[in-house]
Amino acid sequence: MNIDKFYKKKQGEQYIFALALGLVISLIMVIWIVVIILSRGLGFFWPGEIVHITTKDDRQYLGELWTEETRKEHTDSGIVKINNTQLKTGNRDVYGIDFVWINNATIKSSDKPEFAVVFERKEYGNAYGYISSVQIGDSNYTYSEEKIISIAKKAFDSAQKNHENLLDIQEQINDLLAPLTRIQREISLLEFKQNMLTPAEKKELEILKSKAVTLEQSISAPYQKLTDKLAEYTEIDRKINFTLSLADDRAVDLKASKIVRFYLPNQMNVFSKSVHYISKLWELVSAEPRESNTEGGIFPAIFGTVLMVILMSIAVVPLGVMVAIYLNEYAHQGVIIRAIRMAISNLAGVPSIVFGIFGLGFFIYYFGGSIDQMFFSDKLPEPTFGTGGILWASLTLALLTLPVVVVATEEGLLAVPRANKEGALALGATQWQMIRKIVLPNAMPGILTGIILAVSRGAGEVAPLMITGVVKLAPAMPFDLTFPFFHLDRKFMHLGFHIYDVGFQSPNVEAAKPMVYLTALLLIAIVVALNLLAIFLRNQLRKKLKTSAF
Amino acid sequence: MEIIPVTEKNSLEQDNRSVKRNEVVRTENLDFFYNPESHALKNINLSIPGKKVTAFIGPSGCGKSTLLRCFNRMNDLLPGSYLKGRVLIDNKDIYANGIRLEELRKKVGMVFQKSNPFPMSIWENVAFGPRVNGESDKHTIEEVVKSALEQADLWKETKDRLNESALDLSGGQQQRLCIARTLANKPEIILMDEPASALDPISTGKIEETIIELKKNYTIIIVTHNMQQAARISDFTAFMMLGEMIEFNDTKTLFTNPNENLTEEYITGRFG
Ligand SMILES: Nc1ncnc2c1ncn2[C@@H]1O[C@H](COP(=O)(O)OP(=O)(O)O)[C@@H](O)[C@H]1O
Ligand SMILES: [Mg+2]
Repeated sequence: MNIDKFYKKKQGEQYIFALALGLVISLIMVIWIVVIILSRGLGFFWPGEIVHITTKDDRQYLGELWTEETRKEHTDSGIVKINNTQLKTGNRDVYGIDFVWINNATIKSSDKPEFAVVFERKEYGNAYGYISSVQIGDSNYTYSEEKIISIAKKAFDSAQKNHENLLDIQEQINDLLAPLTRIQREISLLEFKQNMLTPAEKKELEILKSKAVTLEQSISAPYQKLTDKLAEYTEIDRKINFTLSLADDRAVDLKASKIVRFYLPNQMNVFSKSVHYISKLWELVSAEPRESNTEGGIFPAIFGTVLMVILMSIAVVPLGVMVAIYLNEYAHQGVIIRAIRMAISNLAGVPSIVFGIFGLGFFIYYFGGSIDQMFFSDKLPEPTFGTGGILWASLTLALLTLPVVVVATEEGLLAVPRANKEGALALGATQWQMIRKIVLPNAMPGILTGIILAVSRGAGEVAPLMITGVVKLAPAMPFDLTFPFFHLDRKFMHLGFHIYDVGFQSPNVEAAKPMVYLTALLLIAIVVALNLLAIFLRNQLRKKLKTSAF
Repeated sequence: MEIIPVTEKNSLEQDNRSVKRNEVVRTENLDFFYNPESHALKNINLSIPGKKVTAFIGPSGCGKSTLLRCFNRMNDLLPGSYLKGRVLIDNKDIYANGIRLEELRKKVGMVFQKSNPFPMSIWENVAFGPRVNGESDKHTIEEVVKSALEQADLWKETKDRLNESALDLSGGQQQRLCIARTLANKPEIILMDEPASALDPISTGKIEETIIELKKNYTIIIVTHNMQQAARISDFTAFMMLGEMIEFNDTKTLFTNPNENLTEEYITGRFG
């Protein structure tokens, strides 16, 4: 027997190795992306230590250690390595920039002052410094560093409470004025017509005017009271202030109401750092953004993304399933159907921006414009539906993901055993009854696969959204508690666009970088979560539909 | 599917006996093409009596299933196929205009070669037919389901597990479930295409018993590749070859004293 023959048969092995290599490379890249996003994103909220650096030429820096790098530089005496430290010094309003690079060789001393404070502010990013005095009302406190911190905390708490009261009063005033504002709007609408008023309208105008007068009189007393209170709170607000001394002993005043929170990272232990970390994470997913999106939360973007994906699914799934059923079960399988099928598959390859432009032209200008003409003509030329909004964006994405749903559903339909279909027809079922009772339940896993693919594709798409309704900062969410609750004409925020905006359009890219990673992380998490849900559902269905036992 | 009517009527050379035999199904010059190249049935003239078991035998691929599927128009589903001639059931041309397929298939039930229970509960499987045919009264359906399962000799085994998935039944039980499902429609004719070919001998025996029991009330047309089975259960047998009807006779005559040489060669096992 010729043993060599057997060895020869193994010739294919090296190809298997090459295939495995391909898999390994892909895996490494995927893992790499995830690890980078996780490490860069999740580390951001962990309070870093504050260092006070004095350089040899007596410059002072106070800030958070950010990164270190080693650079090679060509000098006359050859190549030298230079170690640099990047410090986030904040105080953009004072220094103009958030970060400084310091050559390690120039550092004279570096220490971690116990009482260095980080202020998160509503504007101008973080401030780093030492609290030198606190003003509450008319009294000014200047104590030892330790004592001043506790006073600062109290001052901050009362400022926050005061601020809440202030907002509350403002809301009360708005509520009080609301009916009057409404009447005044009606009046101005009528007056706008001037001498084209019908007698009935003239009478109405008179009535409205007198109503306005009486209403004004009746609310003037409570209104006065509220404005007095508002002035009172504003005064208190104005008079809670901190004075910071910066690294270079410059003094800076800081209004307590402009502060989001402050903390002393060099005094914090692991536990309090964890608490800080979790509260920051919570803020991220639950709060509104601040500072052109580089700070605060991204709740509106999360909400917008999820709502858009849901709306898209509601639109695309029934449509895609209907198309697939018609193509597969009813249509005469000829040249035309084959051409249509090919066209649908090719639609998946059309650049998404093209869909965006189509959405803009068809949905927004044509459809939305017509809706405005018919139902919102009193508001024109201010468009209601004739401008980008979450509804149009969702529909555009629905169109974009239609091929995926159609193809996946068709695959699901093809997987339905022919024997079951014939069985149903042989029992006297009509085509439609057969489809509804046998085909659709059996094709459910395929349909869910389509949804999974559509959601994955739709949630990550940004380009078409930019021209159909996504904005950097939406003034109002597409859902609130005023009737009819869902405001689908409104513009919305989206995680994908947020990444682009914060990462590449923000005035302060360096400070926003971690935010970009975090947003990407959240977007991935949302897509994964939606997919897991659909996969779970699909597996449940599959279990129920497991094919014949013998 | 296209249906090409015959112009010449009564081209059937009527078998004298067929008139007496209370004929239920008749074919006249039936030709069937899966496509222009595949001429599966060639000039079939047949008269099948009611309340009897008629068996179709013949070598594999000779067109037995095709012929059977002409009787409930299952072949309509195949694009590109077409049919010439006539199929009459109760003297009505089932390929004529205005025939409602659902009505026809309710009246002419079918049991397939491979059992095909739906992925639903046993009860829902049996109730499927009545439901799609417009029965909505729960009580009536309950009764129909019970009686259908009893007739298919499955009631005793399943009455306590009617809500379990039909896919959990054994192969033989699944096929009897398919018979019960057909019976729930209260058909007049039951077509069976090798209903026991995938089953073990014991399950086959049970199915055969069921068939013999059923012929009291139903006209049964069964395709089988098993000549012993045809001899055991059928009253009439049709022998087909290459799409042609070679001989149609009562079972005893066909198996003991066939008219045609081909038949004799086939039943004595010289080919096929
Ligand atoms: N769907 C089909 N398309 C084309 N030819 C078919 C199709 N089904 C069956 N045939 C052909 O028709 C002939 C008869 O088939 P069939 O009726 O299934 O035979 P049998 O049931 O007697 O074994 C065979 O030659 C088979 O190849
Ligand atoms: Mg067959």
